[in-house]
Amino acid sequence: MSRLTAWLLLLAVTGLVMSGCRGAGSGKTVLRVSSWGGAGDDSEFWRITREVYDEFERQNPDIELQLEMIPGSQEYAQKLLLSFVARSEPDVIALDASSSAAFVNSGVLLDLAPLASSDSEIDLVEFFPNVVDIARRGDEVFAVPLDFTPVVMYCNMRLFDEAGVPYPEPGWTWDDFLDKAQKLTKGDQYGFKFTNWMPGWVLWIWNGGSEVLNAEGDKASGTFNSSQNQETIQFLADLIEVHKAAPSLSQSAALGVDPFVDGLAAMEISGHWAMIGYSQSKAFTTDDILVVPMPTRDGSEPTTVMYEKGLAIGKNSKHKDEAWRFIKYMSSAEVQRKIQSTGLAVSARKDVTAERSTNDIERAFESIIPSARVPGGSITEGYSVVEMEGERAMDAVLKSGKTPKQALDIAAEAIDRYLEDH
Amino acid sequence: MSIKRQNGLWFAAPAVLHMLVFAVIPIGYALYLSFFKWRPLVGEMEFVGLGAYAKILSDSSFWKSIWNSSVFTVASVPLGAAAALGAALLLTQRLKAAGFFRTLFYLPAICSQIAISMMWIYIYLPKTGLINMSLQMVGLSGETDFLNEPKLAMASLVFMSIWVGLGPKMILYMAGLMNIPQELNEASELDGAGPWYKFRKITLPLLGPTTLFVIVTSSIAAMQIFAPIYMMTKGGPDQATDMVGYHIYVEAWAKLNFGTAAAQSFILFAVVLVLSLVQLRMMKSQLEGWGAA
Amino acid sequence: MPRKESATKSAALHLTALLIGLFVAAPFVLMVLISLREPSTSLPQFSELIPEQAHWENYSQVLFMPEIPVLRFLFNSLLVTSVIVICQLFICSLAAYAFARMVFRGRNQLFLLVLMTMMFAGTVTQLPVFLMMRSVNWLDTYWALIIPGISSSFNIFLLRQFFLQIPKSMDEAARLDGASDWRICWSVVVPTSKAALATAGAFTFFAVWTDFFWPLLAVSSIRMRTLEVGLSIFKNSYGGTNWPLQMTAAVIVLLPLVIVFLAAQKFFVRGVTMGSVK
Repeated sequence: MSRLTAWLLLLAVTGLVMSGCRGAGSGKTVLRVSSWGGAGDDSEFWRITREVYDEFERQNPDIELQLEMIPGSQEYAQKLLLSFVARSEPDVIALDASSSAAFVNSGVLLDLAPLASSDSEIDLVEFFPNVVDIARRGDEVFAVPLDFTPVVMYCNMRLFDEAGVPYPEPGWTWDDFLDKAQKLTKGDQYGFKFTNWMPGWVLWIWNGGSEVLNAEGDKASGTFNSSQNQETIQFLADLIEVHKAAPSLSQSAALGVDPFVDGLAAMEISGHWAMIGYSQSKAFTTDDILVVPMPTRDGSEPTTVMYEKGLAIGKNSKHKDEAWRFIKYMSSAEVQRKIQSTGLAVSARKDVTAERSTNDIERAFESIIPSARVPGGSITEGYSVVEMEGERAMDAVLKSGKTPKQALDIAAEAIDRYLEDH
Repeated sequence: MSIKRQNGLWFAAPAVLHMLVFAVIPIGYALYLSFFKWRPLVGEMEFVGLGAYAKILSDSSFWKSIWNSSVFTVASVPLGAAAALGAALLLTQRLKAAGFFRTLFYLPAICSQIAISMMWIYIYLPKTGLINMSLQMVGLSGETDFLNEPKLAMASLVFMSIWVGLGPKMILYMAGLMNIPQELNEASELDGAGPWYKFRKITLPLLGPTTLFVIVTSSIAAMQIFAPIYMMTKGGPDQATDMVGYHIYVEAWAKLNFGTAAAQSFILFAVVLVLSLVQLRMMKSQLEGWGAA
Repeated sequence: MPRKESATKSAALHLTALLIGLFVAAPFVLMVLISLREPSTSLPQFSELIPEQAHWENYSQVLFMPEIPVLRFLFNSLLVTSVIVICQLFICSLAAYAFARMVFRGRNQLFLLVLMTMMFAGTVTQLPVFLMMRSVNWLDTYWALIIPGISSSFNIFLLRQFFLQIPKSMDEAARLDGASDWRICWSVVVPTSKAALATAGAFTFFAVWTDFFWPLLAVSSIRMRTLEVGLSIFKNSYGGTNWPLQMTAAVIVLLPLVIVFLAAQKFFVRGVTMGSVK
């Protein structure tokens, strides 16, 4: 007993001593970098990601990178906000456009415009201006964009050919979509893969001719529960429950992994990052993939959403210089070339993107970019609550049999209650 | 005899001080916070008086979470107590390897809630989960998504909670059973009483204090359940498992509405307080036995 | 005749115990089996539950993952848990001794307060304690993980119940030899209560090791996370796809708990019942 106690005490003392001089022992500056996503695997993507970080440490022997992994897109923003509240935020913050307003608007980030204009190694003119604008407020720029992706409709052409269904073309409507989805549904194969993930299904709202919030971005009643949106939700619910052209959420879960990647769904909505998974699919090759714009209710001009990742520096960071060096490194053409070769996204650098648009998929992405809007979370603080309520409403319709009107009314009220306070 | 007596207050001081700082003062501080609207990131605090409470009164989703917690408590506590009593009755019989079973039954209670939640997510999976595979074996569909069906999610959590909480309650009941004087059992057997009659008329009434303790402590725990919800359902689907502990967590740490969250936690506090006061009243005689009251 | 009846009865009892045992053990067995499967493969049917080949390397893969420092989490958990256990045993023994064997003004009122906080602590105190830790800049350090946990009303109560049972004659004898309360506490009362201390220590170990809510809030940086919080990250990072590695991580979290449990469980029956009505 007493020996155990002594052992524990020893452990405790070493621990407290260690905690006192965290990182100081090596004489290196520990640079904390937030990052979404979690544990890596043996894939090409992770191999290259690790390589890029190692190379930075080689070039900057005075810096030790410490990645702060927070998986899950909603958890990411929540946990990061909380770390600001706790005054223990990382030095470099990866800003997800879909939650960036919460950080950009609250004055916790460093204005990078002065740094960029006085530094000859970086020029914001080399980046797509509408992507830089996501974190721009007046003359101030709070993040340097790395990459972005419009959300698109992916089609598995192999399944289209097998079923003899013509590929979708730009300008297609919801009726066309439904028709194709039904024809592509047979056996255990579905026409479309639907997930209750609002950053994905918000496109149906927009292309159905309505909005989530009002023009000021501070009220949901009257827009989110509009009659068009009720019809939109009904359209999606019918697609699943009446036409059975998409697996129900439970069936999706039962299918296990991603039915599109397994060649069991012909169409899905996702961002460029999905290409990482497609390249590992055993059911098809990336040559079988067709990228098309979203269908709209009436065949009008489609819109989509643009998700983006930028790097920012915490205003109270003690290592601003090191953080800035890291940002310059990550946004350099060389590193961008490496990372985007994995299929992650479209580089925010015009030069790298121009080099890469050599195949049909990249060209299709390029043609869709101009119609992409910024996500609600880059304008409205606390947009994650809007998405939480939206997903709850979708669940209510798809699982507990509420009508779209009931569900959207409840959601709109809850969103207004929250936005009123903020 | 009292020459060398030291003041006991000094002995109790570290613990009492700790209790003041980490329990008593925080309760007062929470009350204070609940009168303010506060955005912690920007830093401005605005006095709103009872505004937060007034808002909560009309917030149907908060009351839904209280309702959900009550349903969970009312379902899981008696079932859990009954299962534990059953296991205790079993293990106090003449049984080989009773010690092994006692250890095994206790095991879930000491385990990490996160690990347990992960296990049970797997068990509840459609098709490849343990339960669905068993259902398939007997010819049923096996595609039930237990955690994502509004009608089943709550029942699934209740079922899991019985598994988790079996051990400690069972031990309490075993102790209670062993305290029943043997003569009483023998006397009733001489009177020709059947086992069921004996159980209802002798065992159950004599286990009254144990049952009370089990019910009250597990009710308090059930009203505040958090980790399984965080890991398994996130309060969904469609708020079917949004229980008040998790609801307050979201309000405070996801929405960063510290004032509202403090007010909500106070309402929960009041609910648990009333529950505990009722219990204290019922246990008053015991308390006197402990020399505390 | 009665013999035969008791034989069938005994068989039925054993069968019931086995069935319940199976129900309790199944999730654990499943967890270990899944943890030994090849990562990122499809989930097994019943007949495939026992993996053809045990992939023990899953364990080294999880322990040495570059993005997620599991060994560091393990160290944090060990450190925080052991410091809290030691502090609690010291502080709570002292207080329990005072409440059980000393007389002072306000003793009963203070003890009632202890009982009350035992019942009411929980959701309500977390936010204020978080803000208190923030104002002294302790968040994201070991202090925030340790200091709020170094005393517990439950253990004071538990130890007091034990101390009350020790015959007064033992310390009267020591007192006649001129021993102070401090001496009596540490050389008479505490040594005779080893079982109680082991129980209290084990309970504290389980509670702190498996605490999830507080470490989730109190620390932000990855190097400060405990195993329990680190494990939740594992679940999210695979989004339900890489079950073998998730289950491997779960086994790693559970193993220390099971070891401590098996080592201390002989004290448990007494320990648990002490905390209840007699």
